[in-house]
Amino acid sequence: MPLYFIDTDDDVLTVYDDQGQDLPGPKVARDMAHLVLPDMARQKLPDSDRRTFKASVRDESGTVLYVATLTLVGEWKVEPPAS
Amino acid sequence: MLHDLCGRTHQVSANEDIIGEGERPENVHLVMEGFACRYKLLSDGKRQIMALLVPGDFCDLHIAILGEMDHSIGTGWGCTCVKIPRATINDLTTNHPRIARALWWATLTDEGTLREWLVNMGQRRADKQMAHLFCELLVRLQTVGCADEDSFEFPISQSDLADTLGVTPVHVNRVLQELRAQNLIVWRSKRLQILNVERLKAFCDFNPNYLHLTRRANGDSSE
Repeated sequence: MPLYFIDTDDDVLTVYDDQGQDLPGPKVARDMAHLVLPDMARQKLPDSDRRTFKASVRDESGTVLYVATLTLVGEWKVEPPAS
Repeated sequence: MLHDLCGRTHQVSANEDIIGEGERPENVHLVMEGFACRYKLLSDGKRQIMALLVPGDFCDLHIAILGEMDHSIGTGWGCTCVKIPRATINDLTTNHPRIARALWWATLTDEGTLREWLVNMGQRRADKQMAHLFCELLVRLQTVGCADEDSFEFPISQSDLADTLGVTPVHVNRVLQELRAQNLIVWRSKRLQILNVERLKAFCDFNPNYLHLTRRANGDSSE
């Protein structure tokens, strides 16, 4: 099975996948990229009102095949409370 | 007698099941070397590892009482086990109260560990959950002389660790790099090294009380 690498970024830490995953094809790699996003969000939130979580799929030649982005946008509808 | 029981070891090779779900084994297995795990496979192929078994742990003590296995026990990494006939366990528990008590204690500790894993999975962030598992394994392996003061053999894969923590393998890789970047751990060549044990314990709020490593002070030592 081909090896795919899934790099991730949560605006604070960029992690370059040094292991890779043996996966049957790019669609499964895409699914893996989707699945890591809620794991990353769960670990980081709550935090600020803006955060972008990103997971991208790279093949063995280094070509980026797919990028998934999960964006948090929070907005106060009243005067923000003093911290 | 216990020494005799432990003399007949057998090697379980990597990726071999020790017992499968639904089986009715005639022997109870005791891990002597390496790692085994309790796991369940779902119909969609997903797997959850519910326990890591280290030397001295019984794989399936309850099978002496219960009818069949409700989960599987395997080793993705190879281990050495000893088989103890169900009849021997029954004899030990009936005729040797101290051993019966020790087996009961082992079962209660397994339950305590399972409770802590449930807390970890439900309430701790993945980085703390992973750190907590590493602290637990260090303490458990030290108890049986299989770890030095800050490191132990850890032959499992990142994918196994993902199925243990209930997160994706990609996230496991991410969390490992986070812990490494904070100078908490190094996992290299199948050996996990904790760079500062007290700092890692503080990081994940580790309290080993659930492992019940100390006996009740007031007693029952006469048994």
